[in-house]
Amino acid sequence: MSNMLPSILNGHAMNEHTPLEAQVITVTSGKGGVGKTTLTANVGIALAQLGRKVVVVDSDIGLRNLDLVMGLEHRIVYDIVDYVEGRCRLRQALIRDKRVAELFLLPAAQTRDKTAVNPQQMIQVCDELRKEFEFILIDSPAGIEQGFQNALAPADLVLVVINPEVSSVRDADRVIGLAESQGKTQIYLVINRVVPARVKRQEMLSVEDIKEVLSTEIIGIVPEDDAILSASNRGMPVVCNGKGPAALAYRDIARRLSGEHVPLEIPQALGWWQRLFGKAS
Amino acid sequence: MEALNRFFAKSNSAQVAKQRLQTLLAYDRLEIPPGVLALIKDDIVAAISRRVSVDCEHVNVNLLHEQNSSKLVVDIPLIANRGARAVRSAGRSNAR
Ligand SMILES: Nc1ncnc2c1ncn2[C@@H]1O[C@H](COP(=O)(O)OP(=O)(O)OP(=O)(O)O)[C@@H](O)[C@H]1O
Ligand SMILES: [Mg+2]
Repeated sequence: MSNMLPSILNGHAMNEHTPLEAQVITVTSGKGGVGKTTLTANVGIALAQLGRKVVVVDSDIGLRNLDLVMGLEHRIVYDIVDYVEGRCRLRQALIRDKRVAELFLLPAAQTRDKTAVNPQQMIQVCDELRKEFEFILIDSPAGIEQGFQNALAPADLVLVVINPEVSSVRDADRVIGLAESQGKTQIYLVINRVVPARVKRQEMLSVEDIKEVLSTEIIGIVPEDDAILSASNRGMPVVCNGKGPAALAYRDIARRLSGEHVPLEIPQALGWWQRLFGKAS
Repeated sequence: MEALNRFFAKSNSAQVAKQRLQTLLAYDRLEIPPGVLALIKDDIVAAISRRVSVDCEHVNVNLLHEQNSSKLVVDIPLIANRGARAVRSAGRSNAR
């Protein structure tokens, strides 16, 4: 079914209000700490800002933190394991993010481990969610063990987050291989924490280098941005109200995912004169 | 400008990273550990030495990787028997 979707990078004209067929998007990486959770939160919110019905799912059972990055931790009562084990209905486990129209979080359990849910159950959970939502974003744990397999199983589209460094790119290659061996055909890279000045000085792998080495399409380039840390300190992801380069990048990714054609470029921070007089000057 | 950038780049470590990655991924995708290449080299030298004299010091076995394929490129200098005999009789060691 997902094979029949047009390549999202070509952009297909789509009325903002035509509901989309539900898509499960898994955000993964292999290597830990590269920015999966930050991306899931921001792109989820940005998609909801575009008017889409979105649920973000934390599949990092035992080490949940998507709720923290989104500032929703104090509202958790039930989690995905409670639902899978029949202690609550799916609706009861979903937490509504009141900052945007149609955004929900399905939290992971904190006190259990990765084996509390299996890939088959994850597919069933997503099939339920497909009835209600247009985008189901799954934040995968690091590694390639069961937690990763759980996140991968229901995916129509796989986003592989990479930092421009050797170990991260290598792990991404492994993850891409595993996704392909599971029959996934829609696999895209997000290059996170790019520092354009260092790429220019040839101290950092460029986007072109990474694309060539992995022979995989890129769907987003997110610059290194100091605003990310204070945003996660506050539980208020940068796309909520930020205008910095990472916020712009996450919004671009959301627009591409919802079918808009947005040229791939590295969003730059605006200088003080541009902020005063507009981008054109 | 490009040249200037390159001049100021400490060692163009991005290029080094890219080359290391290309090699690393070639091994990863073939699912062989990089050290196996040295063993392959020994095997090849042993096999070929049964028929002809090989200049063991200068044998080169490399994994060449292109977009979607990898190949072994093997460079095996041979020692001509006549030359070798001449070397022995002349007591020199630099002839091939
Ligand atoms: N573009 C960015 N600029 C600056 N800091 C970033 C950026 N993206 C992520 N970070 C920081 O990197 C750290 C790791 O991010 P995050 O938790 O999203 O990674 P992760 O891949 O989900 O990690 P894990 O594998 O542990 O789940 C966080 O401190 C986050 O603030
Ligand atoms: Mg995470």
